Amino acid sequence: MLQLAPNTPTFGMTTTYRQRPPAGRTRDRMTHVTDRTARLRDALKQCAAENDDGLVQILNIEGPQLLGLATRILGRRDLAEDALQDAMVQIWRKAQQFSDTSGSARGWIYAIVRNRCLNILRDGKRLSLMSPEDLATVQEARQSIEPTQDWEILASGSKLQNCLRGLDDKNREAILLAYVGGYSHGEIAAKQDVPLGTTKSWIRRGLTSLKECLA
Amino acid sequence: MTTLSNDLTLLADDHVLGLLSETEATLIEEIIQRDPELAARVGRLRDQLLPLDLSAVPQPVSPDLIDAVRAQLAAATPAPAPLSSPHPANDPHPPRRFWPAVAAASVVGLALGFGAGWQTPGPDPVVVAVLLDDAGNPQAVIEDYGNDTAQVRFVADITVPDGQSLQAWTLPSPEIGATSLGVLDGARPAFLDFDDLPNPSGQQLYEVTLEPLGGSPTGRPTGPIIGKGFAALQG
Repeated sequence: MLQLAPNTPTFGMTTTYRQRPPAGRTRDRMTHVTDRTARLRDALKQCAAENDDGLVQILNIEGPQLLGLATRILGRRDLAEDALQDAMVQIWRKAQQFSDTSGSARGWIYAIVRNRCLNILRDGKRLSLMSPEDLATVQEARQSIEPTQDWEILASGSKLQNCLRGLDDKNREAILLAYVGGYSHGEIAAKQDVPLGTTKSWIRRGLTSLKECLA
Repeated sequence: MTTLSNDLTLLADDHVLGLLSETEATLIEEIIQRDPELAARVGRLRDQLLPLDLSAVPQPVSPDLIDAVRAQLAAATPAPAPLSSPHPANDPHPPRRFWPAVAAASVVGLALGFGAGWQTPGPDPVVVAVLLDDAGNPQAVIEDYGNDTAQVRFVADITVPDGQSLQAWTLPSPEIGATSLGVLDGARPAFLDFDDLPNPSGQQLYEVTLEPLGGSPTGRPTGPIIGKGFAALQG
């Protein structure tokens, strides 16, 4: 487990927006998204049939975004590459378990990558094998993750963004520290400088409101 | 929604948020696999939160990565029960390979609502207890159906020495004391049919002990405990 100093700099909301595609491309993007969903589902079918073109397809379609996600959580490129490699192996092995009655192929693939990253973060043995310098760089990179900013670049007016905006600040911050930052309950409590139980109830409350809003 | 225990839903939410330990995550994944309703909920929440993952800045992937993945797959010796082997949704038996991965004691908390994912054919258990050894490793699972019948399954390799028997017990209340659910014919799945006992309740203690051949001579557990655990109320 990474040791995070309590009372680290707080994650104030900023108004930094990254560039978004022009609104006029919405229809193209929709078609593209549907197409991608189908291609990813086909790629998983190929993996399930032990055809490794499926893995190539997944990396072609989602590789850079998946690596970006892993880098954001792990804070280091080399660890992120390890995580993505391990995750691709898991995707290959678990492909038969995917069922499109329980969410999209895309969501399923991202969940595997996310979970692999979190396991690396929480694998004390793995971290203890790092040199103190390497560990320090991981910790520094993790400290600089500002998950409470990234949600603001979600497509403006998107349901998720609107629903996140509607949450109490503390609830939203706790949820984003967990989902985007990959922090554990204990780490979030330290960051928010509140007891563990408070963090847990903020997350529960926030998630309940979020799900109601998204429904 | 009503068939899902609230605890299980909350755990699944925590899993999607990435708040579970690796051990807990492995266990909930197994439960999700057997529970289409829970799987659908998890899939929906994942898809709803996916835009947050897409807000990370993309990074160029080395063309060597696919070769590294292939090499890793080629190097891995095929496991006796590969991860990709599908389990029918109505398979009541968790695969054995899964248990070593959930050996940590933290699964005790997860036992809440555990049975909801199994979709056991026939009557639904009133309570389910995961019996752990001293080290916190799951050894057996008892499902009590509340009509003086229960089912026990072993989830670890248990060696019963010659001349001894396994015996299952429960403690319905301190007044009644430990009561035998039956003497077992080795560490095999068994259906237990026992004397009139009160309906099982949450937090009721269940255990399996090693006893002299044919069962405890005193009517109370005398031998070493193979595993014990508190029941989680289902439904």
